[in-house]
Amino acid sequence: MTEPKKLTRLQAIILLVALILTLFPIFWIVMTAIKPPTDWNASPAIWIPSEPTLINFKTLFDPDAIRAYGVGGVSQAATSAVIGSIIASVTATLLSVSIGLFSAIGISRYAKNSKWTPLVILSGRMFIPAAIAVPFVIIFSNIGLTDTYTGLIAIYVAITLPFSTWMLKSFVDDLPREIEEAAMIDGKSRLAAHLTVTIPLIKGGLFATTMFIFILNWSEFLFALVLSYSNINTIPVQLAKYVTATAGTLYGVQAALAVLAMLPLIVVGYFIQSHLARGMTFGAIKQ
Amino acid sequence: MSKPKLELVALRKEYDNGAVVAVDDIDLTISAGETIALLGSSGCGKSTTLNMIVGLEQPTSGDIHVDGQSVVKIPAGKRNIGLVFQDYAVFTSMTVYKNLAFGLEIRKKPRREISKAVFEVAELLGITERLKIPARELGGSELQRVAIGRTLVTKPDILLLDEPLSNLEAESRLAMRRELRRLQQEIGLTIIYVTHDQIEALSLANKIAVMNAGKIVQVELTTEICRRPGHVFVAGFLGSPPMNLFQGRFKHHADQLYFEHGVFSLNLSSTLNLVSIPSGRVILGVGPESLRLVSPGSGDASGLVSRVETMGSERVITVEIGGQAVHILDSAAVLPPRTEEAVDIAFDLNTLHIFDADSNLRIDLHETKVDHCEPAN
Repeated sequence: MTEPKKLTRLQAIILLVALILTLFPIFWIVMTAIKPPTDWNASPAIWIPSEPTLINFKTLFDPDAIRAYGVGGVSQAATSAVIGSIIASVTATLLSVSIGLFSAIGISRYAKNSKWTPLVILSGRMFIPAAIAVPFVIIFSNIGLTDTYTGLIAIYVAITLPFSTWMLKSFVDDLPREIEEAAMIDGKSRLAAHLTVTIPLIKGGLFATTMFIFILNWSEFLFALVLSYSNINTIPVQLAKYVTATAGTLYGVQAALAVLAMLPLIVVGYFIQSHLARGMTFGAIKQ
Repeated sequence: MSKPKLELVALRKEYDNGAVVAVDDIDLTISAGETIALLGSSGCGKSTTLNMIVGLEQPTSGDIHVDGQSVVKIPAGKRNIGLVFQDYAVFTSMTVYKNLAFGLEIRKKPRREISKAVFEVAELLGITERLKIPARELGGSELQRVAIGRTLVTKPDILLLDEPLSNLEAESRLAMRRELRRLQQEIGLTIIYVTHDQIEALSLANKIAVMNAGKIVQVELTTEICRRPGHVFVAGFLGSPPMNLFQGRFKHHADQLYFEHGVFSLNLSSTLNLVSIPSGRVILGVGPESLRLVSPGSGDASGLVSRVETMGSERVITVEIGGQAVHILDSAAVLPPRTEEAVDIAFDLNTLHIFDADSNLRIDLHETKVDHCEPAN
């Protein structure tokens, strides 16, 4: 192993500034989540609450709890949003990764000379999401898919499939094709060779991709907002609902839900940190 | 163990709708128990040929017979032909035991039979003590043993080895070469050994088939091929350094037979007893060991020394003759010439090879009439 390089003073200062810029919003959100309503908008700002409270977290699941502080009206508990996020994210992630896995194997092993494949696959990511959101709403309402988990999951799969395909393709590319050919010579069919040899050998990459796609789905806001009315809800949409017309923005409750939503991502992020760059760059960066 | 004969009949493989011809109508017959080396430089079609034999690629045309039966339509897993890959293709996610047992488990053999076969092969390859460890913890030569073992355990009729030693370090390569030779003698399999390394081919095979640009240019016994290269390509490919090739013509002059090169002329009357000589252009092949440096004025050709390389007990001296680099193999014990030194070279006229410059085929020297030597089959 190579010895890590020592940072120069300038590099250390730049890194420190970057770290503060990155971590400050997280610090501020966590602090806001444990602030009582009087401290949310205090001026000058209160950095660390003198009387930390869990009332914001309680309000997430008991909307009337906050009334004790004289703050009115959260109309809806966040329970349905948490459940909705879990349903949509987990299902869409499993589908996206499953379809992406076989697409990746197909492209890596059987479409070597197709120079248009990358462009076609990535083209879905070239649109500004807002530009395709409106047509999707119209099409989905025509076929009855708005305000349904089926519709939301379908769109999540569609928008994350390029990521899962391309990220998994980079893992399959790393694997010598002889390994599958050896299994075929031993008597496996082509499909069985992929199932018994290819997939177990890229299970690390498969896990990383699953987690990465889960993060994308879990934090998706735009499509969830435009496709949900009353039947379905997700955490990012619920966060927006805490900006109320009557009681103003419920910063503490919003921060509490954000902290809760962040926890699984932090756990997942810890496990796949070495693979994250690969996902962000569509597999261009190898470990 | 059955010992089938393998026949390739006008076997051809094209890619990109015929734009690339990887294997160009090759014919090859391999007897049971024979080890044949497919020798050629990278991209000459050796591995594609193996892939077609084992069933990983479909030929564009032609046929493959094992024991007289066509196997072209039989899938890879049912041909009972084993292939050991250059990159080992060992399943690193499994233990050594699981790797060895893989093929037999697919064939749904009883567990006791699998265990017996795995231990036998592990014993043969000296990896019994490594059976329980994950294959990813193995080094290069051990991985190669597992790759060979995984193939041998299924008792293939024919064993194909695709450059199996090229990823190994020099020391391991020598050891594995000895190992392969031992296996070959103990098991008596029919083996096709693909390599670009002529030393490997010469030391492991009974016969060598030299490939170039998708064609087999010569098939010959290992003991014969260097002595009698049948094609200019073979002459220029085998040997280190390979044979020196000089273009020229035969000429009769005052009852004497000469080989006229642009820069020098050789009197071959005492060597060749040809009734009629080829009138067209010919290529004269002279091994580097058949040339020697002689005192100025007493040689057959003159030139300037451009490079002197000592390799152990031997030395390769490169001399520029009329713009052509000519290699001479000499003993390192004698004092080497200096670079840029003018030297004379003498040819050993008894070890010359002559090829037709148009067909590139060998012309047999010691016959009473000129005879084109067809590549042996």
